[in-house]
Amino acid sequence: MTTLLAAAAENPGVLENISKTFGLNWPFFIAQVVNFALVIFVLKKFAFGPIQVMLEQRRSRIAEGEANLVRIQKQLADSEANTAAAIAKANEDAARLINEAKTSAAALSEQKAQEAIASAQQILAKAEAAAQAERAAIKAELKQEFGRLVAATTAQVTGKVLTSDDQTRLSQEALASVER
Amino acid sequence: MTRRSIYSILVALLCCAMPVFAAEGAPAVPEAAVEQHEAEHDAGHAAAAHGEGADAHAAEGGHHALPLNATPLHSSLPISNSILMVWLAVGIIILFCRAATKKMSLIPTGFQNFAEWAVESLYDFLSGLMGKHLTLRTFWFFGTVFFFILVNNYMGLIPGVGTVGWKDEHGHMIAPWLRGANADINMTAAMAFSFAGLWFYWALTENSVKQFFAHIFAPKGSFAGAMLAVMVPVFLFVGVLEVISIMIRPVALTFRLFGNIYGGEQTLESLMALVPKSIAFLPALPFYFMELLVGFVQALVFTLLCAIFLKLICDHGDHDHDHAEEGHH
Repeated sequence: MTTLLAAAAENPGVLENISKTFGLNWPFFIAQVVNFALVIFVLKKFAFGPIQVMLEQRRSRIAEGEANLVRIQKQLADSEANTAAAIAKANEDAARLINEAKTSAAALSEQKAQEAIASAQQILAKAEAAAQAERAAIKAELKQEFGRLVAATTAQVTGKVLTSDDQTRLSQEALASVER
Repeated sequence: MTRRSIYSILVALLCCAMPVFAAEGAPAVPEAAVEQHEAEHDAGHAAAAHGEGADAHAAEGGHHALPLNATPLHSSLPISNSILMVWLAVGIIILFCRAATKKMSLIPTGFQNFAEWAVESLYDFLSGLMGKHLTLRTFWFFGTVFFFILVNNYMGLIPGVGTVGWKDEHGHMIAPWLRGANADINMTAAMAFSFAGLWFYWALTENSVKQFFAHIFAPKGSFAGAMLAVMVPVFLFVGVLEVISIMIRPVALTFRLFGNIYGGEQTLESLMALVPKSIAFLPALPFYFMELLVGFVQALVFTLLCAIFLKLICDHGDHDHDHAEEGHH
């Protein structure tokens, strides 16, 4: 190339010869420059522009997605921590409630037991009183029946009619001897 | 731009192409192509007269060779067979872009998926090379350069491109109807010099004017005293060399891409001419696979070199800044 330039400097016809040999001429050169400019316009407008916009859009979507993923992971971690804390608190509350229930139940049970015992004792006392009253009534009835039988038997054995006083005396005497 | 206007562009491109394929059967030979063919023919005879042997045969119209120049299709309009190819490439690119971006969704499928993969891969690749800021600012250019060169390189490999065209009375091809766009030096020069212009603009806006010149001429490193006095002229000389290097870059970019693609197509045609026409595809077949690789590699090399040239002038040694930016994002 240096030789060519040197030769061109010495002889201006060299460049002209080179141009003629290779068919380099202004009209075709300018026409090709225009063609090339047209290609640049077409590719910039219809290919590189839309494609680069789309690539940039996709890149931003991916970046946004990654940012969202990080945010969601953080939220998930926070949520897990909150859930764990809530569960721990719930467990603690449940344990406390169970203990309270146990204590309450024990107290209630004791109270009911005491009430049942008192009630049973009352029932027993009432039953005993009733039994004693019944026994006394039966006893009085037996005494009366026994006295009547003694009086009747005595009247039949002696063949005499006993007065009311006699019957009462005989009955008392008979009862006194039985009770002894 | 609406769908109707896109289809209008495509129809217009096709209309431009129509004159070439119009007429009855074979298209009429453009006068400009005939003139060019005759000029080459005369040059070939002249070379033969000077006894240059085999070279003279090649120069004599290149019967088994793709002409070195693009063929003008119109005597007054700047339309050549390679420009026609560029229009077809533009049409294909427009259709692909519309198919890929018509119904864009966050979950990509089909064309959109492929387009996003291609664009994102290139973007990430350039980001690693130039940093996020510079890539964001300049991707529209580098992306266009890469995909445009790639599409044109592969379209140049379509059977018939560069091999089917107008013939003279002896049945020899005068000029192909379609020519690989990057096998035309005007196309590669258009891209390279467009980049050169943009390089200046980006270099001046990314640096200040003072920083721009300091970047080229100022001593790199910290010198003081006598050492500084010695290093200043050294770096001034290095700066002059750098200016020459900057001036040569678009020329080198132009000829590198043109040479590789033209050479590839020439290789394929020469190999096909070695054997009878019925099996002409056979010797070229392995080279087709190589040319597929070359087409990709050359697109990448052109893009990569442009990116490196820009990175070199915009490099402030602030890698930490980029990393900090990345970390921030």
